[in-house]
Amino acid sequence: MTDPNNANDDAEPSANEENVGIDVGEHTIEELETELQDVDDPRVLEGLLDAEKDGKRRQGAQEAIQERMDAVSPPAAAVDAEEEPKEAKYRENAEELTLDPSEYEIAELGPALQDVGAPEELEAIREAEQDGEDRDPVLTLLDSRIEKVEAEDEDTGNEEIDLAEMSVADVANAVRGIDDVAELEDLLDQEEAGEDRDPVGKQIRNRIESVEGSDEEVEERLPPEEEHPHLDHPTADKQYVKALENGEYRDTWVYCETQAGELIDVSVEMLGKARELMDSYNETYDEDERVVAVLIGDDVSRHAETCIAYGADVVVYHEDERLERYQHKAYTELFCDMARWGGAPLDGKGPDEADWRDYDEPRYTVFPATNNGRDLSAQVQAELDSGLASDCSGLYIEDTVISNPVKTGQPGAKKDFERVLHMKRPDFSGFEYSTILCLDNPTREFHPQGASVIPGSFPVPEADGDRDGEVIEHDLRIDEEWLRVSVTDYDRIDEGVDLTGKDVIVCMGRGIGDDPTRGMELGLELADAFENADVGVTRGIVTGSYQFDGHVEQYTEEDRQIGETGQIVEPDVYVAAGVSGAIQHKVGMDDSETVIAINTDPDARVRDFTDYFIEGDLFDVLPTLTEAVESGNPDVEAVAADGGARTDGGRETDDSRGIDGERDGTTEDER
Amino acid sequence: MSTRNGQGGGEEYEHYEAVVVGCGPGGAAAAATLARNGVETLVLERGAEAGSKNVSGGVIYAEKSAPYTIDDLFPDFRAEATERPITHNYIHNIAGEKVKTFDLTEIHENDTEWADAVLRRRMDSWLETRVHELTRETGGGVLTGVRASGLLRDDGEIIGVTTDELEPITADLVVGADGVNSELAREAGLMDWEEPDEWFQGVKAVISMPEGAIEDRFDIAEDEGETHLFSGDLYEGVRGGGFLYTNAETLSIGNVFHLDSIVEERAEVSELLDTLLTHPLLAQWIAGDEYEELEYSAKLVPDSKKVAHPSPTEDRLVLVGDAAGQMQAQGPLIKGMNHAVTAGALVGEAFAVARSRGDRSQAGERYVQSLYDEGVMEKIRPALYDRSRSVTEDRRAASFADRLVGSSVGRAGLDAMMRAGIVERLYNSPRMMQVLPDTATPYATLPTAIAKRHGEPIAEENTVSPPSLEERIGELTYDTDIGNPHIVVEDESWEASGAAVTACPVSAKDFGGGCYREEVVKSNGHEERVVSFDSQPCVECGTCAIVADTHWEHPRGGKGVEFEQG
Ligand SMILES: Cc1cc2nc3c(=O)[nH]c(=O)nc-3n(C[C@@H](O)[C@H](O)[C@H](O)COP(=O)(O)OP(=O)(O)OC[C@H]3O[C@@H](n4cnc5c(N)ncnc54)[C@H](O)[C@@H]3O)c2cc1C
Ligand code: SF4
Repeated sequence: MTDPNNANDDAEPSANEENVGIDVGEHTIEELETELQDVDDPRVLEGLLDAEKDGKRRQGAQEAIQERMDAVSPPAAAVDAEEEPKEAKYRENAEELTLDPSEYEIAELGPALQDVGAPEELEAIREAEQDGEDRDPVLTLLDSRIEKVEAEDEDTGNEEIDLAEMSVADVANAVRGIDDVAELEDLLDQEEAGEDRDPVGKQIRNRIESVEGSDEEVEERLPPEEEHPHLDHPTADKQYVKALENGEYRDTWVYCETQAGELIDVSVEMLGKARELMDSYNETYDEDERVVAVLIGDDVSRHAETCIAYGADVVVYHEDERLERYQHKAYTELFCDMARWGGAPLDGKGPDEADWRDYDEPRYTVFPATNNGRDLSAQVQAELDSGLASDCSGLYIEDTVISNPVKTGQPGAKKDFERVLHMKRPDFSGFEYSTILCLDNPTREFHPQGASVIPGSFPVPEADGDRDGEVIEHDLRIDEEWLRVSVTDYDRIDEGVDLTGKDVIVCMGRGIGDDPTRGMELGLELADAFENADVGVTRGIVTGSYQFDGHVEQYTEEDRQIGETGQIVEPDVYVAAGVSGAIQHKVGMDDSETVIAINTDPDARVRDFTDYFIEGDLFDVLPTLTEAVESGNPDVEAVAADGGARTDGGRETDDSRGIDGERDGTTEDER
Repeated sequence: MSTRNGQGGGEEYEHYEAVVVGCGPGGAAAAATLARNGVETLVLERGAEAGSKNVSGGVIYAEKSAPYTIDDLFPDFRAEATERPITHNYIHNIAGEKVKTFDLTEIHENDTEWADAVLRRRMDSWLETRVHELTRETGGGVLTGVRASGLLRDDGEIIGVTTDELEPITADLVVGADGVNSELAREAGLMDWEEPDEWFQGVKAVISMPEGAIEDRFDIAEDEGETHLFSGDLYEGVRGGGFLYTNAETLSIGNVFHLDSIVEERAEVSELLDTLLTHPLLAQWIAGDEYEELEYSAKLVPDSKKVAHPSPTEDRLVLVGDAAGQMQAQGPLIKGMNHAVTAGALVGEAFAVARSRGDRSQAGERYVQSLYDEGVMEKIRPALYDRSRSVTEDRRAASFADRLVGSSVGRAGLDAMMRAGIVERLYNSPRMMQVLPDTATPYATLPTAIAKRHGEPIAEENTVSPPSLEERIGELTYDTDIGNPHIVVEDESWEASGAAVTACPVSAKDFGGGCYREEVVKSNGHEERVVSFDSQPCVECGTCAIVADTHWEHPRGGKGVEFEQG
């Protein structure tokens, strides 16, 4: 069924040519729907559809265009649908102009009707159903759809304004609902090209003025009491207090956090990234801007060289023993004072103009997204009256073009922003990444452009010990007020057993199964015979069902597991007793200097990566090994060699002496 | 994303019109249909990427009779997401080194519009991208690395899901498309994980092939592919069979066994895979000097004949695909993905209609109704089978059938049937395939008898030496959730959980690196045989949820094994 009113052919030229130039990719679907209302030429619509299909391929956008095509030229759409049989199931739901209800199951009809937007068409379908199968549920379905569509029509009724048909009063009413300047200007053009009635033009111009004017009003600054009359102590909007006007901004500042006196990894990661950013920045813009590392704490200047080696050109530090732990207020005051260095707007409060810099505030600031770093970054950026993109995982600098009127100051205008730090962050539930930009407004500057960075986002760079840099001490009297919070006591959470620093590790595996407690005792005894040694276990022991006696049980738990999901160790000597050598175990000990394995199975995989493979029962071999160590031969390799093994083909060692293998259960072995 | 409160929800939670749990074919079909009807849809997928948790044989079918097939919903599916069209089908009956082969192409083509070999990582991750595009338009999207851990209830009524990673989410419709061992289905009381005879276990290896080798060795063109099924005496009485599917540049080779039979026979499932891989029959396709196994994997599949839920819905929850037991394994035909797709699309449609009527709560009922109206139920749980089972599966009847095949009368009959081509016709009869009983007769006794009397001896020598189980585990990728095991063995005694030592595809007797290990504990001079357990090597197949006494869950989002082929 076609609506005869709509069956005009596509030869009619489009009424307003300007709209032909819609760039579909530039519009959200919602915008597009509005824009499309002005396009009547089916050929133009087809072009737009093709553009969308070649471009973003958004289902919603295609549907919107298709809907408009249906509205202006129904038969064309129907033909289209038949040309692509593969998608028929969806086409028949989505694109046919009208539908024959008798061809549909009730279940299918619901979704199909979603695509019929015109009340007349729906009425026609309803009539067809009544004349045909006259199914009650179908009629209900249609009624509810018609109701819905009519309601929608009323809502959007003013979207299609045909000025020629309207009186001046009508126009005045209609334009009141429109606050998009571009749309109003379209109307104005339409009127001028058409009847060109003075009063109508005036109405529209008035509206444009009042819409634009309202933007300006917002910009008129009210004191906080007036702006927020309902608050009893309105927060002073800091833009009046501290923002710079025509500020000079330079350099990338990196807050290098220390914990328990040590520089943490993320600080170094950020320095590496900042270095990379500024190198390409300087090249692109022919500048000579620097990476400035900031250290605050007790005895932090000792990290200055490290910061330089990892990419800083300048290190600014402030040290004081009262700053041993992070303190919100004090650290913020110090950082901000460094950033301004006596410059406006805190006249007189900071140190004098410095000779190492000649700008007002940093261009970019980067903080770690650690507990302390998050806290500091938020406060500092607020204090410097800028913004913050928190928890970022990617940074790059690029020019960009923006059309947001808040930033351009003029609706419809575009503005170039140079040297913009693009801050990528995973959005709150990890859907995807958002890129945050911190851009100046026409009346307010947003600098420094600041980000906090998720630890581990950037690689640890190579240190370059030859790099030169300037180290500057920052001086400012710390106000006792800033230190109102004091830490009276603290505790480091016990991180369990640390096997990483040991010279010797004796690792026990499931080979102890015959007498698990005795097996662990033998391992402990061997470890005791060395100076700096300890016992580890395989995952097989950790997850085993062995019943251990109380005194050895603590040595069989997860905190002593070595391997992929345990600790990674690299001792001088690694003794693997009753360990098969699973690949996941191997990755935890493969960098050990010398590996000695004791195993009853000569084909055990562990043999592939041992220096000394002792084929034998650990219950026999371990005691003799212990005895040899205790008997005063401290040369581990020699002991192992004397213990009855020769170097095994698996690994290279220098020391491959033969043995006088006199021990029980120990056989010489060579591959 | 909207923040309206759920209908009747007590607290303020994130709300969507529909939440789909799982982005396999069932979830993807549901989400796509919902999104196309303008329903705001959020999809949760526990894998780091869709497909990283999924394993199938796998051939996906598009049935002529189905109301929806995957390429209806995703038009580029075959070009973008599948490996090879399947054009030829064979079954090999094996007795020792004698083999009798039948052409099964006819039954495969029955009601088949097309069938393609697939690897799930590639297929599902492609679907994920499409689904994300579609659902984003509605204000939702696909969230990966998020595991729905349970049902959110308000006053007893299901109103949404809880997750390990995010705050609870409410929805007007919750689609449980979370696959086999669905925690949602279990929690809703719609499925239980009790009886081994309701499940199959699939174990497979994906093997890389030199360029052009598939075309040469199978004598097919690039746009042709084959399935080969194997039955007979090579599995020493374990009920089930083997398969080989040609992918684009790899082969999928594996076995599917009845889980109860694996348990009864204490079969080492990885060794049974080796039995197939090293059989002389396969020497024509794979060779020892170039043999490279890309991935070892396993998954349980429900037997829809027994467990397809007759009414897979409860409150706002609906189940589709494996979660609802809609996995049809009838004789050599294995159809799961296609039914999941159909069911998913029907759910989407049901909700859209219910919504347009202003009563969303009707969605579940409408969905179930359409499962029957569209003939899905009849296919996956044929009443026919329910009726015939009581006779054919009766033990006496089975052993009589076995004896008949073995007797001279039976042999004579068999010979006559062979001559008349009846056996091949029988294999190709959809009705026969539907009523195949789960006894040894169709899997072992009959094929063995056929091969013994009519098979050709195989001359070739198979030089393949498959990797050890330790090496197979070593090749897998894991993101271990350290200190947070997803499975806890509740009873370590041999009686309660010993079956898993052999049935778990990454465990074996005398192997210290698996999930389940046999150990002897001595205390006060008395010895006890127990199992010890480690969840880290787990490939999340689901077997021990059924055969051992465990508290069983999937790992948190993104954690655990990550299949690269699937
Ligand atoms: C994701 C994942 C992560 C893993 N992470 C780790 C990890 O972090 N650390 C780890 O260790 N493993 C890890 N594993 C592997 C783990 O499960 C191994 O299987 C385990 O390391 C094996 O322990 P085992 O060598 O003690 O036991 P087994 O493999 O059982 O080996 C016992 C060995 O003892 C020998 N033996 C028996 N009796 C005697 C005797 N009387 N005297 C001498 N030798 C004897 C046997 O010949 C055998 O070689 C991981 C596995 C996976 C899948
Ligand atoms: S532990 Fe259980 S779920 Fe995991 S692989 Fe083994 S049997 Fe399967």
